[in-house]
Amino acid sequence: MSRDVLEKLLYDLSTSRQNREAFAADAEKYLGRYRLSAEEKALVRDYDVRALADLGVNTMLTWGFWLQAGRRNPDYIRAMQGRETTGPRGTTPTGGAPS
Amino acid sequence: MSRIVGGFVVPHDPVMYAAPKAASEAEAAAVYGAYAAIARRIGELQATTAIVIGCDHYILFGTDCLPQYVIATGEVDGPIDQLPGLKRGPIENHSDLARHIAEQGFAEGFDWTVGRSMQVDHSIAIPHQLLIAPNAGVKTVPVMLACGVDPYIHKRRAFDLGRQIGRAVESHPGDERVVVIGSGGISHWVGTAEMGRINPDFDRMVLDCVARGDAEALIALDDATILEQGGNGAMEIRTFICAMGAVGGSHARVIDYLPVPGWITGLGFAELAAA
Repeated sequence: MSRDVLEKLLYDLSTSRQNREAFAADAEKYLGRYRLSAEEKALVRDYDVRALADLGVNTMLTWGFWLQAGRRNPDYIRAMQGRETTGPRGTTPTGGAPS
Repeated sequence: MSRIVGGFVVPHDPVMYAAPKAASEAEAAAVYGAYAAIARRIGELQATTAIVIGCDHYILFGTDCLPQYVIATGEVDGPIDQLPGLKRGPIENHSDLARHIAEQGFAEGFDWTVGRSMQVDHSIAIPHQLLIAPNAGVKTVPVMLACGVDPYIHKRRAFDLGRQIGRAVESHPGDERVVVIGSGGISHWVGTAEMGRINPDFDRMVLDCVARGDAEALIALDDATILEQGGNGAMEIRTFICAMGAVGGSHARVIDYLPVPGWITGLGFAELAAA
């Protein structure tokens, strides 16, 4: 089940700096370790947390995946609500604090 | 024989540490005041051991193995998730009592997963730092229920597990004075589109059930209702149910309730009367 593989991928990223560095260096190569469709890989590569959650991925993982990439919490909320974000590493002022 | 002398339900909100300034000074003072009041009560009860019922947040256990309930029977260290101001280090376990709980459970049909040398996350580390560490010499027995990652432990099973813990304490051939702490938030939406929402009506309903010792009413809540009214974080009320089962008293005293938007959680504190 893809949900399970996606959760494994996000768990692996959340618990290993080495994995995060490998993903950041070459996302396509890193994603090749997992049996995922091209569409599913794109969701991860594009940080489409809303779509990942819609596939049933645990939102503790999607939230951590977003924050560990240095992205802002208010942008995460916007993404989950299907609204526009301010960019890959948004510039909103509240940082990691909850909105 | 050892015995349970009291119990508590408390939150374990990591945002307190990740974003301390997101709450007002008054909110923070009230929250830390509630923890301090419970720490004092643990001292007044002359507790020697605290069994802390926490959970995993997809930090301790990965997709390889998702246990329904775990007890640490040996070395304990944590928290694994590093938060500013939350000290990381060894946590002194009461291994003998923990092993006794597990062994008694095996005999009764409770197939505990045991951790011989394990890390815990903030659900154990926060109550340990704020409630147990201030009482020098009190040992900790960490228990983790499946509350954050599905398949969630059934609420009836959480209650029955608590009852088993209670029986095991009573049959422990020691002289321990034990408190049981259910560690969980009430309404909070973790990582969902509704993150930041709090539902005080739901939270007060939960605390009312705790206050009148009505675990059955909490067990009867279906998960769809909990998710809709309290969010995915409110699945942690299983820790309350388990603690209520262990302590076995007929009522509780609500110490405080604070909906803290900045910390994205409804925070409830209560003392469970011992049976």
